[in-house]
Amino acid sequence: MTLLSVQDLKLEYDGRTILDGVSFDLAQGELKVIMGPSGSGKSTLLRCLNRLTMPNGGRVVFEGRDVLGPDVDERALRQRIGFVFQNFALYRHLTALQNVTLALRHLRRMPAAEADERALRQLARMDMQAHAHKYPAQLSGGQKQRVAIARALAMDPAVLFFDEPTSALDPLMSREVVNILHQLRDERVSMLCVTHDLYLARAAGGRVMFLDQGRIHAEGEVDELFGPNADPRIRAFFHQELQQAQAAQPISPAQPMDGAQPVDPSGPAGSPER
Amino acid sequence: MSFLQILLQLTGGVGYTIMVTVACSLTGVVVGLGVAMLSRLGASWLSAVLGAFTFIFRAVPVLVLLFIVFFGLPNAGLRVPPLVAMMLSLGVIAGAYLAEVFRGAFDSVDASEVLAAEAMGLSRFQILRLIEIPQMLRFAVPGMINEFTTVLKYSPFAYTVGIPDVMKEAMSLSATTLRGVEIYLAVGIIYFLIYKLLVTGVWALEKRTRIPGLTG
Amino acid sequence: MISFLAQMLEYWPQVLSGLGNTLLLAAVISVTGLVGGVVVFYLAISGGPLRRRLTEGYISFFIGTPLIVLLFLMYYGLPQWGPKLTPFTVAVIGFTLNVAAYNARYLMTAFRGLDPDELQAARAQGFSDIQIFQLVILPQVMRLSVPALTNQVILNLKDSSIAFLIQYAEFFAQMQDLAIRSFRFLDAYLVAGAVYLALVSVVVVAARWLERRYVLPGVRRAR
Repeated sequence: MTLLSVQDLKLEYDGRTILDGVSFDLAQGELKVIMGPSGSGKSTLLRCLNRLTMPNGGRVVFEGRDVLGPDVDERALRQRIGFVFQNFALYRHLTALQNVTLALRHLRRMPAAEADERALRQLARMDMQAHAHKYPAQLSGGQKQRVAIARALAMDPAVLFFDEPTSALDPLMSREVVNILHQLRDERVSMLCVTHDLYLARAAGGRVMFLDQGRIHAEGEVDELFGPNADPRIRAFFHQELQQAQAAQPISPAQPMDGAQPVDPSGPAGSPER
Repeated sequence: MSFLQILLQLTGGVGYTIMVTVACSLTGVVVGLGVAMLSRLGASWLSAVLGAFTFIFRAVPVLVLLFIVFFGLPNAGLRVPPLVAMMLSLGVIAGAYLAEVFRGAFDSVDASEVLAAEAMGLSRFQILRLIEIPQMLRFAVPGMINEFTTVLKYSPFAYTVGIPDVMKEAMSLSATTLRGVEIYLAVGIIYFLIYKLLVTGVWALEKRTRIPGLTG
Repeated sequence: MISFLAQMLEYWPQVLSGLGNTLLLAAVISVTGLVGGVVVFYLAISGGPLRRRLTEGYISFFIGTPLIVLLFLMYYGLPQWGPKLTPFTVAVIGFTLNVAAYNARYLMTAFRGLDPDELQAARAQGFSDIQIFQLVILPQVMRLSVPALTNQVILNLKDSSIAFLIQYAEFFAQMQDLAIRSFRFLDAYLVAGAVYLALVSVVVVAARWLERRYVLPGVRRAR
């Protein structure tokens, strides 16, 4: 069943075209990754889906309803969507537990005890129950990420949006995020993940869409996009990203970075000479 | 008498208001610098004394200190002219607040620069004059503006010791014309204008003497 | 000095009532000024550009004009138009307008230090603007502003002496009275000063305790 249908989404700002007719669908229980270079409009796209930013044109049908219309209850819509921010955006003045219970208590009007119990379950799902009473400043990046996800899951949303989940984390933590995505995918949580992290896009395991200059240029299974017959723009993007990634990450033999590019003219990515 | 005429009549006192504000602000800077520099000498008994000084003069109300100086000291045989009384009360209190501002500003000067100057062979006094004070004054600008505007807002107390500033003009005008509301409204506008002028003026000065990368 | 203190003891009911009035005024305006400050702060950060401009103008004006002018306007000026308010009423209104502006300014400064992503996250969760203000903004700015807000309370205590000029029978007014009666001006004013010192010290101790209690682990404090 189609959970989310984005049709010809357009957004212009300050004379610049940010989204130029973006269309895709997300089925229930599906995980999709939107990949693309910085500035391609990825984050803006997510923000249009829950009306944090209003697009100029197009349609978004979520749970069978058009959400861009004038009579839409924004707040109700947003409560159906779990949004995980790039910088986690945890409320600094609240503990991990309180971060998760805030919406339960003030939007769902849940009594404190019930909210706490529910929140602890979500934190446990993210393996963070031991840190429930810590403040965000006392948590590491990866821990904050988990609390942010628990917070998003607590309201039992229809879909989870991830905005660049790995950019604020070091490479080791990125692998943790992939594990979490796999865990949630196994639990049939519908997810849309936006990223410029190549490793994440490949390892997450869902269908990948390549967004560049406001349009989706390709959509397919991981290997189609990363394979030898891939769109040249995507390959160009790869080169850029790979170079940056190699500069930042220590190359270890276990990393599946080189797999699909034996005919790459600039040489095998993971070869020891590099 | 129109509102405009009221305004004009009041401006006679503006000169005195500005004089009081400037005199007390300068006193404050002198006192504040003195206290800030003395406290950097490090002697613990001195720090205790200076700490007590800043605490006392930040805890006593301006009006009370003014009365102590102007109406109280004559009991001890010391008669002080009105402006000096203002300087010894409002000025010294401003100095106590500015001492804190200057201390923070001194602390913001990079210690390694002072070390480099020492290594060059400059004397303590030269280092102070050539390196620390020029930088520290620039760091202290926001704090100084804050304090000077506070001095401006306490300057009306000058009327209690007989200085014919805007406030005093307003009171006599109010008594004769019975147009109190308009008069005090005009007074408020005048003080606000002086305040704006003061702030803009000092910031303009700061901009002229700004050093790229120091306070930006 | 001893003879003055003896005289002061004779008049202890007046002195005590004066002290009570000082504390009353300081306490009342600290509360109304804080509530007013929060309201003005809310107005300054929400609503359209016009409302924000007007609020900023209010803050600017009441920070830029002497408190005493406002008090005189209401106490000596208004009666010529009709309404004659008591010194206490004038003091409360005047001080509140003034203090609220300062408090709003402190809260605004703290607000600029907030993480805008947190506000976005709250919107994304579906909270209303008022809820975001109440649950995310206000708790944080209040804690960040504790030093500035408590400093304002100290100022309120000291500035309460200004009310003496509009004939409010607070502590300094009583001491002035004693000074005139006894001709011991220096003694009277020195004692007054000492009493204010003691009162301020108490508030300072309370302020430090408050600061320690409300600091969030890892959160930067506003100056």
